[in-house]
Amino acid sequence: MQPESRINRIIHHLQREWQIYVMLLPTIIWFIVFLYKPMYGLQIAFKDYSIFRGVAKSPWIGLEHFEYLFSNDQFIRAVWNTIKISALNLLFGFPAPIILALMFNEVLHATYKKTAQTIVYLPHFISSVIIAGIVITAFSPSVGIVNTVLEWFGIDSIYFLTKPEWFRPIFVGTGIWQEAGFGSIVFLAAIAGVSPSLYESAVVDGANRWQMMWKITIPSILPTIIIMLIIRIGNIMEVSFELIILLYQPATYETADVVNTFVYRQGLQNGQYDFAAAAGLFNALVAFVLVMVANTLSRRYSRTSLW
Amino acid sequence: MRKHLLTTAIAATLVSSTSVLADTSDLKIVEGDPLQLTIQMNHARYPVYKEDWPVEQQAREWTNVHLNDVTVGSNMRTDENSGKTEVLNLMLASGEIPDIVGSSRIKDFVNQYGPEGAFLPLNDLIEEHAPNLKKYFDERPEIAAAISAADGKMYYIPYLPDGKYGRAYWIRTDWLNKLGLEVPQTVEEYEKVLRAFKTQDPNGNGEADEVPYFARQWPELIRLVTLWDGRSSGSDTYHDFMVNEGKLEHPYAGEGYREGIKNLARWYDEGLIDAEIFTRGSSARDFLLSENLGGSTHDWFASTSGYNRLSADIEGFEFKAMAPPASVSGKRIEEHRRIPIKPDGWAIGGTNEHPIETIKYFDFWFTEPGRRLANFGVEGMHYDMKDGKAIFKQEFLDQGPVNRSLYQVGSQLQGRGYFQDYGYEIQWSNEFALEGIKLYDEGDYLIDQFLGVAFNQDEQKVYDRFWGSVRDYMLERQQGWILGNGDVEADWDDYTAQLEKKGLGKVLEVMQSAYDRQYGNN
Repeated sequence: MQPESRINRIIHHLQREWQIYVMLLPTIIWFIVFLYKPMYGLQIAFKDYSIFRGVAKSPWIGLEHFEYLFSNDQFIRAVWNTIKISALNLLFGFPAPIILALMFNEVLHATYKKTAQTIVYLPHFISSVIIAGIVITAFSPSVGIVNTVLEWFGIDSIYFLTKPEWFRPIFVGTGIWQEAGFGSIVFLAAIAGVSPSLYESAVVDGANRWQMMWKITIPSILPTIIIMLIIRIGNIMEVSFELIILLYQPATYETADVVNTFVYRQGLQNGQYDFAAAAGLFNALVAFVLVMVANTLSRRYSRTSLW
Repeated sequence: MRKHLLTTAIAATLVSSTSVLADTSDLKIVEGDPLQLTIQMNHARYPVYKEDWPVEQQAREWTNVHLNDVTVGSNMRTDENSGKTEVLNLMLASGEIPDIVGSSRIKDFVNQYGPEGAFLPLNDLIEEHAPNLKKYFDERPEIAAAISAADGKMYYIPYLPDGKYGRAYWIRTDWLNKLGLEVPQTVEEYEKVLRAFKTQDPNGNGEADEVPYFARQWPELIRLVTLWDGRSSGSDTYHDFMVNEGKLEHPYAGEGYREGIKNLARWYDEGLIDAEIFTRGSSARDFLLSENLGGSTHDWFASTSGYNRLSADIEGFEFKAMAPPASVSGKRIEEHRRIPIKPDGWAIGGTNEHPIETIKYFDFWFTEPGRRLANFGVEGMHYDMKDGKAIFKQEFLDQGPVNRSLYQVGSQLQGRGYFQDYGYEIQWSNEFALEGIKLYDEGDYLIDQFLGVAFNQDEQKVYDRFWGSVRDYMLERQQGWILGNGDVEADWDDYTAQLEKKGLGKVLEVMQSAYDRQYGNN
């Protein structure tokens, strides 16, 4: 009731639990140094920034960078491309690790399961540069495995990496190949957390494995799936642009050029940090709105949400 | 190893300093204690500055100026195009500018931040304290103009390459002999030869796997539009603007370009051009030549001629330079050449307290002993003087690629402002390169180059705003046409309208005003 007693309570609490707060400290510091302090620099999106003059001394120019962004049809195209690639990623890339996890869960032979898991985890640890090299070779019209197989069926070889219509499938497919295995770990962990008694009683009731998967496993890991989905939606504007830069060509800009690659070419390569910051800010805004929407919808319809 | 190097270095310095003692006493810039200056130096090929390079030790002894390495970000490797500007940005963002800043790709950087006060203007300093630099710039006013910023002042001393020739056309002359063909002299003959390479199996393995024309950099395919009187670039940078009778133009908006692209698309379709030219990348030359598949390319003299060593593995292998084939109107041009100035060099930091001594130090590298030091290394250690010429020691030539050996002793650094001496390269070019250079010398195929402009702030804004989009669009359409996504004849009107809409006209306008100001063309 008294303010003193409340303060006393807090002091008592801190005295008792201080170790826990010390453990929290590094994360808080990390957030302040790497996420909150840099927000100060965001103002250069509205400034004519010069590294030499510094953030504070560069003159304000209002929304000029944004006006330029939205008057540029290549930027608009890049925004659409980002959304399209991300949507495809979500549609095909998101279910892949779940399916993989469910499949691993059904495998009974331990050695076989371990070997298969190792094989699908491996691509995650390969750098994008190597991945791009593998993709370029695999889809090469003269020596690539893909065209070699096509030729067995009498189909003319296709120069995939210069065809705008092929870029998205190749990019999304590469992403799945690279990340699906590693992404399945979180779902496997969720499956491991499902209480065995549920399965035991289902067996007693005479359920088969298929029914157990649909009626027990999937509903039990649904909260995990939804959280992962919301996080994923938050990252929708962040396609892995290193891989795009390594794979695209002017010939495929039409479908391959995303916001980040556009910013890289036009902003960072010429040292226009102010302009790049404006595009980055726009990106973050879109992502913020998407996360809010996804979270609200999820809270309303599934009662699972990030906050 | 290090100790050993150091002792030889000291021994060599002793030898050389006794032999040329008479000429070098006037090279001294300060008396008494050596003057200490800080330096940031990065260059794309050799990313660290070393105070104990034999060349630096020699320079220190002669000038009594001691450079202390304070390089920021020296371990950052970046590609040839973005050069070291990221490192320079990092240095500037750190807030401290060393007394001397040397780097590749420094020109735009100093011309942007120099007028803001980050670097000192050099014109007056050169006028008063640097007789050798002054002499050079008086003789070559176009170079002084080309490196100046928009305020008309110079902010860096460039690395000035010597020698004219860069790339040339190369062809498998042994394949020509095998098929009973002559070296092609015109574009029609060139096409016939490439087709023969494709269809008549010159490598004799029974398959039509030959790749008639290939390139390590795909813009070298676009270079071929010169055979239809088009242009692909005005300088040694790809896709650059060009000057046509005092007027700035972009080659990708010209008639010859349209005609060239139309024909190149046809060549591509017929398989005369490497099907994978856009993705094969920098290993194309190595792979296609060693596999006995590649027929012809457009590439550098020195490095390409080296592939004739393959004759040990491939019977009869002979890859020789040929004169540029005559275009449809009968013109023979070689569009690529070494540019006389590079955007590389060094500048004086705005907080330097010894600008006069520093410009004298820069001037030292343009004196005769300084220039030799920058080009050939240390006398008695890396080269000897014979009949007034610096001749590399045989053991130095035998150490492997000479340019790499020179970087390692502190010579031929792009982060230093110096005037290259082509004599250094000619000593280790092989006979095929020399023969090719002779051929190009006799034919006189080179054309003038666009040396670049420096924008003022308003011009810079217009350029930054529009040029990126215009360029992206040009390249997108260019590759599309070659690959057969669209027809250049049908799309041309729409293409030029789009270029205008995206702002090519405005970009040309600011380029023109900057050009007129810079080269006094009013």
